[in-house]
Amino acid sequence: MASHATTEHTLAQGEIAKPNTAWIWRVFGVLVGITAVEFVFVFLMHPSTLRNSIFIVLTIMKAFFIVGEFMHLKHETKGLIWTILVPVALLVWLLVALITEGSFIGEVLQNMFK
Amino acid sequence: MAQSTTLPHPAASATHDAPRTGNWDGGNEPFKASYGKLMMWFFLLSDAFTFAAFLTTYGMIRHKHEVFTGEAKDFVFSTRWWPIPDHVFNAFPGMGEANVPLGFVALMTMILILSSVTMVLAVEAGHRMDKADVQKWLLWTILFGTTFLGSQAWEWTHFINGHHEGTVMADGTVFHGANLAMNQYGPVLFADLFFFITGFHGTHVFSGVCLLVWCFIATTNGTFEKRGHYEMIEKIGLYWHFVDLVWVFVFTFFYLV
Repeated sequence: MASHATTEHTLAQGEIAKPNTAWIWRVFGVLVGITAVEFVFVFLMHPSTLRNSIFIVLTIMKAFFIVGEFMHLKHETKGLIWTILVPVALLVWLLVALITEGSFIGEVLQNMFK
Repeated sequence: MAQSTTLPHPAASATHDAPRTGNWDGGNEPFKASYGKLMMWFFLLSDAFTFAAFLTTYGMIRHKHEVFTGEAKDFVFSTRWWPIPDHVFNAFPGMGEANVPLGFVALMTMILILSSVTMVLAVEAGHRMDKADVQKWLLWTILFGTTFLGSQAWEWTHFINGHHEGTVMADGTVFHGANLAMNQYGPVLFADLFFFITGFHGTHVFSGVCLLVWCFIATTNGTFEKRGHYEMIEKIGLYWHFVDLVWVFVFTFFYLV
């Protein structure tokens, strides 16, 4: 998929290359497909930790396609990829830590007068 | 001039032994990216911090509240527990009180994904220096972007005005809809987080639409053609995809989970 750069060698002066858009519509299909799967799970599965985990995995898959293909990060240099990914990984850590903390605070508050 | 307080011009001194070439004037491009594109990436990373802070706050506050444990059909709005999203967001424009759980938000998601696609198509057309195609796809992106903003305005109006049945509050009165101090759907913070998170995202979409309109005018005037490249479309495109990406996360954590 890295070959979606324009092929300029055969172009005459002022001529415009043919659009190369098949890969864009393929990514679009993937994104719509994943969203459809999410809706199937919303209505066919009872809320549970498993269902939430499925949603989070599907969301990360969508993010992978948007950032990797649409924002072109997959085709940038390794240094740039890591520059973006490492801080984001730390953010995920923060998220997990504070959600755990939230559950603990909730437990304390709800059992305070029992 | 006996004493000069300014340093010699860096480009001038560089020509003595080895001339500097290249976009960053050091004969090299860090990460093989242009200055503008790299800085856009760093801005988006900092913006991701902001949105992550919002979503982390949402996750923490939500986990602090009680969970409704009964069957979904027996669910009623109460300040005791966090609301089930498909009971809150179940209205569709022009369908009155009909129960369409998450129907409208599905439509909004589709509109934003489509706008992302037309944005890539504009960037692709820019690579080919195809001015007419860039204009066409920018206009489609602006159309989808404004449609999304309109949908969000409707969603907010419905959220603020509330469901027909309302909820009986602690003092015995029935309350419809939501504001920052109270809401019919559940804990006060639920509505606050809705306003802040979707509002902040909507502001980003609005800024994006403004930038796209500016891009369209510049393209039409031939600014980018004279410049010899459409890199500005790429940079605005990065921003636009980021806004779509944020929606993907807001959608999951606010409407699905």
